[in-house]
Amino acid sequence: MKARTVGIRILNSLIPVLLAFVVGGVVIASIGENPVETYWILISKSLLTPKGFLTTLHYAAPLILTGLAIAVNFKAGIYNMGVEGSVLLGGFFAGIAGAYLPATLDPTMLKLLCLLVGIVCGMLYVVVPALLKAYFHVDEMVVTLMLNYALAKVLEFLSTGVFRDQGAGYVCTPTISDGAMFQRISSAKLTPFFFISLAAFVVMFFVMNHSKLGFEITAMGKNVEFADAMGMRVRRKIIVLMLISGALAGLAGAGYMLSDQYHYTLSFSGDPGLGWDGMLIALLGNHSPVGILIAAIFYAALKTGADNINLYSSVPKEIVTVIQGLIILFLAVKLLDERFGLRDRARKRISRRHSAAQTSAGVVSDNNAGEA
Amino acid sequence: MDLLASILYDTVYHAAPIILCVIGGVFAYQANVLNIALEGMMGIGAFASTLTVYFTNSLVLGLLAGVLAALIFGAIFSVMGVTLRGNVIIIGVALNLLVTAIAGFVMVRMNVANISLSSLNVSDLQIIIPGIDAIPILGPIVSGHPILTYVAFIGIWLMWVLSYRTKFGTYVRVVGENEDAAKSLGLKTNFYKIVAILIGALTCGLAGINLSTERLGLYTNGMTAGRGFVAIAAIYCGRGDPLKSSLYAILFGFARSLSINLAIYAGPASGLFDVIPYVVMVVVLLVVQVSKRRNVRTRGFANG
Repeated sequence: MKARTVGIRILNSLIPVLLAFVVGGVVIASIGENPVETYWILISKSLLTPKGFLTTLHYAAPLILTGLAIAVNFKAGIYNMGVEGSVLLGGFFAGIAGAYLPATLDPTMLKLLCLLVGIVCGMLYVVVPALLKAYFHVDEMVVTLMLNYALAKVLEFLSTGVFRDQGAGYVCTPTISDGAMFQRISSAKLTPFFFISLAAFVVMFFVMNHSKLGFEITAMGKNVEFADAMGMRVRRKIIVLMLISGALAGLAGAGYMLSDQYHYTLSFSGDPGLGWDGMLIALLGNHSPVGILIAAIFYAALKTGADNINLYSSVPKEIVTVIQGLIILFLAVKLLDERFGLRDRARKRISRRHSAAQTSAGVVSDNNAGEA
Repeated sequence: MDLLASILYDTVYHAAPIILCVIGGVFAYQANVLNIALEGMMGIGAFASTLTVYFTNSLVLGLLAGVLAALIFGAIFSVMGVTLRGNVIIIGVALNLLVTAIAGFVMVRMNVANISLSSLNVSDLQIIIPGIDAIPILGPIVSGHPILTYVAFIGIWLMWVLSYRTKFGTYVRVVGENEDAAKSLGLKTNFYKIVAILIGALTCGLAGINLSTERLGLYTNGMTAGRGFVAIAAIYCGRGDPLKSSLYAILFGFARSLSINLAIYAGPASGLFDVIPYVVMVVVLLVVQVSKRRNVRTRGFANG
């Protein structure tokens, strides 16, 4: 990859972020607060103090995993929105396992079992949409979105009924046993789960950049019909990739349960949810593992910073969610082409107009990713 | 008899907002633009209308604000997705996320957890047709609904006419089926795509108003509960035909109505009944897709 391409890619991720912060700043200013001050709180408390930075890393741990889970599918042109569902299902049953497995088990063993339960549940959740997509061409996006709602209802039912912690004043499942909890390493929130997440990152880095599967992901993303015609087993690859995504998301949910939440509540995954956060991270990181790692840490810093905004200023912390939404929105448009600069692109467009006017048949490039 | 009447009434009640989404959303589908922002357009319509009525006490202004907000979302979607050729799926997701963010931000500033219109008595908005409301079976279907519910059902026919009996509708489908050919005919393809998206935004705005202000006098975050995605599923199943797609929307309304009315008898398992409508939609999608692909005999993954 040429240095220029890399540079343009980085700019393509940076410009939307800056734009979103500018718009967010206008919003903050419009309610009579100082945007610079607010952003300073956001950044300084989450990145520039040791404790804040470790807390940021703690929040980054599940986000790295969901970011990878999204990237491994989106890059192949599979729009799997079920990552959020996998997180919930994995987290829920990891929590159940942590609470109901005998607490006398070896703590390491117990944690591993819980994580395993989470991974398996995350994979189970995507089996149906994967099979429907691979063998019947049912749109995976609609199916996973529908199933997300169905799943949320089922988990609500389970946590208000069978698995309800009767002692608690609100709807939640029993707290996991002490052995299943990841202990904090220092006074900050960081737990060993971060390193598990890093290990998964390393594995995915090699899978996506240095393996046959990684090459096939790129090929499918570029043109799935061509990949099929060249003899790739597209159906099987779809199922494999969605299962990988489910496993990563399940691990994220389980880890979040064991290192942060300790029991399942109805707002377990937060708003907008770890899976949706993962989508932003994958886009921001341009579907490349290293990009995702950086984006996850940046995003976790926003999360830590949002709590501090609430503490130290009168700006509602929802402003961070607004900024996140804007970042995704601006990321959708590639402002700079990877191969041509803006200038070349404009020149190309003008010449295209000319030729279109002459032949009355314009050159068109189909930009509808949806029907693929 | 009471049960049957309330099932029928609820079917119409729950189908209406989805029909509204569907009849506008079909145009974007026909123009080959995947608009998954229906959910967000509905949500922002709901929020803007409730907020406006909350401050002005005027239903007309609320209606205008809801439609306008949805149209603004439609305009953003059009500019970024069609003019600037961005990835429409990502734009859709972003708009859907922005609704809860914006509404959450405003509601925190207002110090409320949801916007409730205490001055509004929603039962006043229900139109009871004298004479018909007493007839069994027909009564609960036709009478006692708010005005936008009637608009939804009349809209099915209107949009069918717009789609199949006007030049505009034909051009939209031409643009969707073969953009190059449309361009070679001198059609401004982007124009038709944008108008298609804006029609969807307009009706989704109405759906949002129907859902929040008109029926409940209430806005809470997440109240759209995936109805926009259900509408997309219905559009897929009906392949962009306003009439057929609306039938699938009614099917969903029926499933939801059944799940609500039967849940009363289900005891502790009633919570699970909420799952039915979503699962029904997935199954319908599968059945439609399988029957569509049965006729395709060509080899390869991408056909069909």
